[in-house]
Amino acid sequence: MKRQVSVLLTLVVLASLLLTACGGGAKPAVQTEGLKEEAFAPTKVEAPNCDYGGEIKSIEAVDELTVKITLCTPDPAFPSKIAFSSFGIQPREYLASTGGKGDLLEKPIGTGPYYVAQWERGNQLVFKKFDGYWGEKAKTGTLVFRWGTESAQRLLELQSGTVDGIDNVGPDDFKTVEGDSNLKLITRPALNIMYIGMNNAFAPFDNELVRQAFAQAIDRKRIVDNFYPAGSEVADYFTPCAIPNACAGEKWYDFNPEAAKALLEQAGYGADNPFPTIKLHYRDVVRGYLPDPNVVAQDIQAQLKENLGVTVEIDVMESGAFLDAADSGSLDGLHLLGWGADYPDMTNFVGYHFGAGSSKQFGAKYDDLVAAIENGAQRATDAERAPFYEETNNLIKQHVPMIPVAHGGSAVAYKASVEGAHASPLGNENFAVMSTGTDTFVWMQNAEPISLYCADETDGESLRACEQVTQSLLGYKTAGTEVEPVLAESYNASDDLMTWTFTLRKDVKFHNGFTLDAADVVATLALQWDAANPLHTGNTGAFSYWSGLFGPFLNAPAQ
Amino acid sequence: MTAEPAKIAKLDAEGLSLRSVSLWQITWRRLFKRKSAILGMVILGILILIAFTAPILAPYDPTLSMLDANPPQNLDRRSAPCIHLFGCPVDQPQHILGTDGNIRDEFSRLLYGARVSLWIGLSTVTFAIVIGTVLGALGGYFGGWIDNLIMRTMDVLLAFPSLLLAIAIVTVLGPGLTNALLAIGIVSIPAYARVVRASVLSVREMDYVSATRALGGNTFQILFRRILPNALTPLIVQGTLGIATAILDAAALSFLGLGAQPPMAEWGSMLGAERNQVFTAPHLVFYPGLAIMLTVLSFNLLGDGLRDALDPRLAHVS
Repeated sequence: MKRQVSVLLTLVVLASLLLTACGGGAKPAVQTEGLKEEAFAPTKVEAPNCDYGGEIKSIEAVDELTVKITLCTPDPAFPSKIAFSSFGIQPREYLASTGGKGDLLEKPIGTGPYYVAQWERGNQLVFKKFDGYWGEKAKTGTLVFRWGTESAQRLLELQSGTVDGIDNVGPDDFKTVEGDSNLKLITRPALNIMYIGMNNAFAPFDNELVRQAFAQAIDRKRIVDNFYPAGSEVADYFTPCAIPNACAGEKWYDFNPEAAKALLEQAGYGADNPFPTIKLHYRDVVRGYLPDPNVVAQDIQAQLKENLGVTVEIDVMESGAFLDAADSGSLDGLHLLGWGADYPDMTNFVGYHFGAGSSKQFGAKYDDLVAAIENGAQRATDAERAPFYEETNNLIKQHVPMIPVAHGGSAVAYKASVEGAHASPLGNENFAVMSTGTDTFVWMQNAEPISLYCADETDGESLRACEQVTQSLLGYKTAGTEVEPVLAESYNASDDLMTWTFTLRKDVKFHNGFTLDAADVVATLALQWDAANPLHTGNTGAFSYWSGLFGPFLNAPAQ
Repeated sequence: MTAEPAKIAKLDAEGLSLRSVSLWQITWRRLFKRKSAILGMVILGILILIAFTAPILAPYDPTLSMLDANPPQNLDRRSAPCIHLFGCPVDQPQHILGTDGNIRDEFSRLLYGARVSLWIGLSTVTFAIVIGTVLGALGGYFGGWIDNLIMRTMDVLLAFPSLLLAIAIVTVLGPGLTNALLAIGIVSIPAYARVVRASVLSVREMDYVSATRALGGNTFQILFRRILPNALTPLIVQGTLGIATAILDAAALSFLGLGAQPPMAEWGSMLGAERNQVFTAPHLVFYPGLAIMLTVLSFNLLGDGLRDALDPRLAHVS
């Protein structure tokens, strides 16, 4: 009798396990209760004309698998731009249900190899493998993002084996990692810029002579030689030279403290009118372009004291608050910030920072600079663009909205056993291709993502997390910068580079089980483009990448 | 008459001398009988000496990057200590404790740091004692609603952990050494106010106070000339120990970037700036940490010694 009972019990347990397993397989990875998939209907969002100043004329879902985007001006860099992770496609029903904020910020629904399983704020972010992924499925079942601002802490965790890969190895630790047979160091190409920004809305930097004086008063070579790791170089231009046309035009000013002093005198500062004490704002956050922020800031402070006799007060700010203040143009004095390439094109550097759609970070825009950048962006070939970018670089040198300091070499480190380990020049490591031989891969980066709705984030730490989950029409090759088709199987442009047609892959599933169609693409993009769209809310509502890449918003409120 | 000195000497030997010996003399004597207190005083003495002679002792300007030095010394940043006496090649510049992340001489910075730390300790505690004493004395002497108002406010201040409250105050005032000093000063007030109030309460009903009152002494006279001097001893002990806490709090604030601002040499900020180099350049965190520890230890030892020496109940023990 006893034996029968135990057999029966075993059977019941087995049956229930089987049921759970089958049931689990049928359910989508992410549940969106109460949401019903809408049938496709052709849609089109269109600007009445191009007078609003932006680049996009219309976005249209022609049929289920065809998206047509027409532009106001030709843009050869359009594929590189639309491939960027802030344009990751999400189901239109989900976007609408969140109101453009709320859940959207923490639980994005994409088409990527991983979906977000759990985000314990302040602790860790857990992704799970998406079994319904259209491409090659992720090699590891669980991907965990952790973060630590201290490079020593990250290295310690890697050495002790609690994490499998870390970002931004401390400059002094390169040798340690290289000498450890259990670890491997992979350097990341210096496709970035660290600069000292100046906002021309605040005195004394409203005076071009002052800005030019500062440009010559800082010994950039000394900073790079002493405080940057191997593989870094002094920046003679804003954009790294690996990018076409980046280094056309005149090189940056030579270090010349005498000339700098003379310029300050010319600007009216001297014994009877001493130069005011200024602030140097920055965030104490390690990035590839700025591996040791405190030390670099203090060196700049020391240099300005010595070379110009200017007293600089150091102001360390919280990362998010610093970025917000920079974007809204409320940082007086100097600020240290940098930029890593999102895609290898001039527009991503000069267009984003100084173009028509740029933020108020450097104060009032320089009209001649805006015009040169716009002209360059509209030409089809690198040769045609060259003269305009030469002018751009010369104008940046003349106006000095910022002082380019360094293209910072950085490195990531992995356990030696990690297969597929790589470092992306764009900072978007693809963890789906990595495996550790176990079912979990733990990545430790510098900081926690701010939100996971990357249409409205600019921080690389957030973007990297989004890139595991959501995908754009196009993408960048793993560990490279070339554009490759992702959600769009193929695309073509009209001869004038004004009309771009994308053909979507068939049967691509979102994490909640919905099927991707052209209307989802239109909804995702239009809510960023159209400031009057009720979903145009996001985390802060800035949508900086959209305006940085495509210029002003449609229906932007009058300023 | 010639027998008198001999008599006194005899009485002295029996401990029955009638010669008056002041409280301070007794305290001093007792203090010197305690080895730990002497150790504290010795360390403190050395620190004070260093603080005063830092410009003479320090081989370099504490804020000068060696890249600017004349002639420039081509050092790697965070270089290890180099002492010629101990075999460091003579052609290399001597840096007793190595250099920091900005290629500044760590030894010079450490010496100048002593100035800042002692200044922090003394100024914040003086500030807190002055205000705390006045508040405590007023509360204790007058009682009633004045006492209630003052002491309940002190209770509110005491309800917060002191470092957290200091951080909150600095956040409002903005980072910087002066604001950090003010913050630490403010959070230390309640301790002194309570000590003084307790002493005043116990002293104010004494006969000599009543006598002064009967002789027509005014409130100010009674409070500040009769009561307070007799309530002073616990304050001295509390103050000495308070300096140690203040130095520690200031170092913590500077570590967090809220206190001393760069390029000023301050032990807490030196520690904070190099916290990531704990494995690659341990000397840069070890020495500032050691300096903080020694300073705090010296004040604590001295404070403990003073407490024992000033305690009348322990008079026969010594």
